Amino acid sequence: MRPTCLLYAKPSEWGAVVVRALASWWYMLHLGAVALVMAFSPSTYNRANRVAASRHIYTSTWRVLPWFTLLSALVSQVLIRIVVVTSLSYGLSNYALEMVVRVLVLELIPLSAALFVALRAGLAFNAGDALALAGATADSPALSMQAQNRLRAELVPEVIANAFAVLSLAMVNSVIVLVFAYLNVYGVSPWGVYDYTRTVGRVFEPVVTMGFALKTMLFGLAVAVIPTAAILEMQRLGRRPLSTMQPGAVRLLFVLLLIEAASLAMKYI
Amino acid sequence: MQEPKAELPAEPVAHVEAKAVVLLVLIGALICAFLLYVMYARGVFEKTQRLVLISDDSEGVIPGMDMTFSGFPIGRVQRVELASDGKARILIDVPRKDAAWLRTSSVFTMERSMVGETRIRAFSGILTDPLLPDGSTRTVLRGDTTAEIPRLVASARALLENLDTMTRTDSTINATLTNLQSATGRLSGRYGLLGGALGSDEEARKLLVTLERIDRLLLKTDQRVFGKHGVMDDTQAAVLQLNVVLKDASASLKKVDAVLAEAQAIGANARVATEDLGALRAEVDASLRKVTRLVDEINRKWPFARDTELKLP
Repeated sequence: MRPTCLLYAKPSEWGAVVVRALASWWYMLHLGAVALVMAFSPSTYNRANRVAASRHIYTSTWRVLPWFTLLSALVSQVLIRIVVVTSLSYGLSNYALEMVVRVLVLELIPLSAALFVALRAGLAFNAGDALALAGATADSPALSMQAQNRLRAELVPEVIANAFAVLSLAMVNSVIVLVFAYLNVYGVSPWGVYDYTRTVGRVFEPVVTMGFALKTMLFGLAVAVIPTAAILEMQRLGRRPLSTMQPGAVRLLFVLLLIEAASLAMKYI
Repeated sequence: MQEPKAELPAEPVAHVEAKAVVLLVLIGALICAFLLYVMYARGVFEKTQRLVLISDDSEGVIPGMDMTFSGFPIGRVQRVELASDGKARILIDVPRKDAAWLRTSSVFTMERSMVGETRIRAFSGILTDPLLPDGSTRTVLRGDTTAEIPRLVASARALLENLDTMTRTDSTINATLTNLQSATGRLSGRYGLLGGALGSDEEARKLLVTLERIDRLLLKTDQRVFGKHGVMDDTQAAVLQLNVVLKDASASLKKVDAVLAEAQAIGANARVATEDLGALRAEVDASLRKVTRLVDEINRKWPFARDTELKLP
């Protein structure tokens, strides 16, 4: 078995390991780019693909949304309460709302939505199904028409559905958290709307809003593409999984953390 | 060739496409509504007017922060830029409906507290003044708590050092307090204030003895001076006698005055006589000079005239 990590490789094999890792990352990026281009090309959306995309959306979003929303609302309510009560005890209640919006809406909700979708849909990629797709990408980069059709039929609807699932969960729960935050700080009263709106406006600066949207979309893409790419690559190279762990899981977590860290760095550094 | 996917429902779902479309539309609407709300919250749809505040330090001022009037946010910092003269220009957008609170006489302050963000506040004392025109430039007054801290600490340190000096065992105040304590101790002694003022009860006792002696002395003096056959009676008799003597002296002086008048008349007569003597003397002098000339003439003409010439050897 070929070593896949520098720690377990002999120094003479380090070059090969690095090249293999780079090729793997390139394959993932290439597959993601191809899926993205196909998602934006109108010819993808024929009748069969629309049905497939609808089924994927139904599975990854419609069935997940209520439970995730319920759980997320519960956890958010607890966190909001903690923040509001703590800030009140320190006499810093003016900053509680801003902190809740910044921490929950901008950071925690998108990340938890991405992780949830990754566990529920992205990492539940069927290896048997992947076998059929592995041949389609074998002659990459010059994809044949047949391979493209297979990608269109199988991969693209799933990528779209997963990305949409992350976006939906993040947006719905962000709105719910905003409502909960208002109710916790001002109670059931309409007189705090003006102040609340100004606070939200202060938090959502143009750069922050664009970063929030970009981050959510990148989360969606990562969740959709990375596990699929990992399995396809494994099948294409005829490897067996090294462990019972889902292929691409570590890379997915790494990429999610990377995106989150980059987002934080862009906003606060 | 393709197996059914594990995560997809095994049996076909009713109206799956319609449900997907509904979901897409709802999420799309939610995103649009959220974006519109954020834009509204950022004041994109409000008509605003520009206010420029000039400050020598813009630390803590960030775009998006509020300017308040009576605690209500009425403006939002749009941009902070550095002017050509090195001062900070804070560009604030004030909504038209809130601009009524800003007058030409309004004052703007920027406060930095130790905890929390910088605050920009507007104060309008005279609300009947004209409205602040669009694009006005005003200087902002700064109140910096943190800048005051070093000065405050320096003052507090000096104060504490002084306090330390004052409260040391060998300090002046301590010595004063000790003295005060001993003084109050004496005040509460047998002789009270007198003992406190004189230093000890012994001194106070001596003073009291002295006072008693003086009192006795005064009593005796009173008897000797104002009593029967005292000094005052003798003095009165002496004064009466002195009055008589003075009357006699006055009469004598009158007599002396008459004598002096007589003497004055005599003096006047003597002065006239003296003047006559002067004329007489002048005549005698003239006669003598004539006799002298006559003698000299006779001597020259006389045969026994002497040779008056001097011959040098």
